[in-house]
Amino acid sequence: MDLLSQTIQYAVSGVTGGSIYAVIGICWSLVYLITRVLNFATGEFVMLGGMLTWAFSSMGFGILPSAFLAVACTVAISMLLERLVIRPIRLPTEMTYMMITIASASVIKGLVLLQWGSESRRIEPFFGTGVIHILGAGVTPQVICVVVLMALITFGLHLFLNHTLLGTALRASAVNLTGARLIGIDIGRFRLFCFGLAGGLGAITGIVTAPITFTGYEIGLLTGLKGLVAAIAGGWSMAGTVVAGLALGLLEGFGAGFIASGLKDVFALVVMILFLIVRTITIPGIKRRT
Amino acid sequence: MKSNRRFHLLWVFVVAGLALVPFVTSGTYITGVMCFVAFYATLACGMALLLHQAGLFSLAHPTFFGLGAYTAGILAARDLLPPWAGIIAAALVVAIVAYVIGAPLLRLSGYYLACATFGLLFIVEITLGQLGPITGGHDGLMDIPPLSFFGFTLQGDFHYYYVAWGLCLGCLWFFSNIMNSRIGRAIKAQHDSETAASCVGINVPRCKLHVFVLTAVTASMAGSLYCFYLEFAAPSMFGFPLLVELFTIVVIGGAATLYGPILGSIALMSIREAIHVHLKGVLPKMTAEVDAVFFGVLIVAILIFMPEGLVGTLDRLAHAGRRFLGKST
Repeated sequence: MDLLSQTIQYAVSGVTGGSIYAVIGICWSLVYLITRVLNFATGEFVMLGGMLTWAFSSMGFGILPSAFLAVACTVAISMLLERLVIRPIRLPTEMTYMMITIASASVIKGLVLLQWGSESRRIEPFFGTGVIHILGAGVTPQVICVVVLMALITFGLHLFLNHTLLGTALRASAVNLTGARLIGIDIGRFRLFCFGLAGGLGAITGIVTAPITFTGYEIGLLTGLKGLVAAIAGGWSMAGTVVAGLALGLLEGFGAGFIASGLKDVFALVVMILFLIVRTITIPGIKRRT
Repeated sequence: MKSNRRFHLLWVFVVAGLALVPFVTSGTYITGVMCFVAFYATLACGMALLLHQAGLFSLAHPTFFGLGAYTAGILAARDLLPPWAGIIAAALVVAIVAYVIGAPLLRLSGYYLACATFGLLFIVEITLGQLGPITGGHDGLMDIPPLSFFGFTLQGDFHYYYVAWGLCLGCLWFFSNIMNSRIGRAIKAQHDSETAASCVGINVPRCKLHVFVLTAVTASMAGSLYCFYLEFAAPSMFGFPLLVELFTIVVIGGAATLYGPILGSIALMSIREAIHVHLKGVLPKMTAEVDAVFFGVLIVAILIFMPEGLVGTLDRLAHAGRRFLGKST
């Protein structure tokens, strides 16, 4: 394998990972912008999507019905989390929000471990196991499916947020919560809706990636955290998150390929910390965006 | 003056009570559990100080605990330094690391500080697992000798019990003195309002950095002692499950007092032991992640139903009781 095909191979895996991080990042920012909650259970929704699909399909359902059931269950869990856990907090500060979502994440993770054990699970690829060769690099149909689906989701969300009344109302509440409430937007329902949407998107991501990277009870936290990196680096905007997610994925792909695959997860986190530090540096004469 | 004397009396009773525990309980089971309580309490006191008093939402506390454990453990296991010197060396290393990391990171606030330190937690855990030749990799660091001072070797739960509780109460005493001093008032002031604090001449970034390094050093000392007690250290011991356990302790302890985390860790350990003893038959695999389910539910319940924590709630109940009896003013 020469350098060119190697590079293409890493780029392909980078774009696959990056598109996933972008969608997960959008899940984080959907919830964060409306509710001001950083939902650390986002990654667990990704894990739940994959694990529930595996569980339903091993119960004898077909792949499509079980994927559908898994998404529905995850949406329900996500909405219940908002309604029963996050909304009743008595002292809602950033600290309590974060503690309670981290606690919920560990509960979800532990319950999945108890129910289905610690083995990695695999879902059969949707379009067979053939390999398409492009310039010496192998691309499976599943990879193409992931990238296309993620692009469709992002495009659909873009249309929804910018060209429907509900989407416009969502954007309005993200900009100014009090103002949105004053013109008659029901924030409580929107919070529920955002959690549901984030849960559903997370679950879909988890399902389509499960044939490539396998799924298991412990994948949630790190996958979710990388989505958070994309969201933070993208400045919580959708276009920014997509660009940051793809860049992150490519960095991870090349870093894992050319430097050390064991440290794959470290690169993203180091980038996050460096990015956060660089954000705080103010250069005299240049006005910072707030 | 009167309350001061009562306070000293309380300290004497607590210390005497703790010193008697290994003698009045049969076997070493309770003593062993209380050793863990002491390690966790030391760690959680620092974390609670950071979260509640200083308002710095740093999640890197298990990391400093782990770095302390690994530094002292590696130095002792490779015969580079005697164990007691290893503890001091580890504290110095962690202080430098905390200083270097803290200086840029503490400029962040709220969620961003939390995210950055959460990232740090995973970075250190993964890196410790990957540095096989130095740290022993995922299997953990073996061959750590027991702690010895000048020819006297600590053996068994009984010895470690006194050292661990000495460290714990020492840290508590140190923290309460700090918080009653000028530095402590500065820490509380910058928590309430950074602008106001810097207006009265407090160097807010330096103040934050001081409290960050201070709590990191106590965490490191607890960690070093912990690895000598277990004679073992593994990366997974210092990761996410430990963070959830610390959250539980801090949440149970509440924000009101500095000693709350000690009660919190006693509660946490009692729950953990109760789970391990009673549910052994029902739940086959008792890993830290399974424990985290119970702790997670506990955190959620406490944050929803008693947000002041155990001490605050007991205080309120006592107050209500006194009012009911007509004795309160």
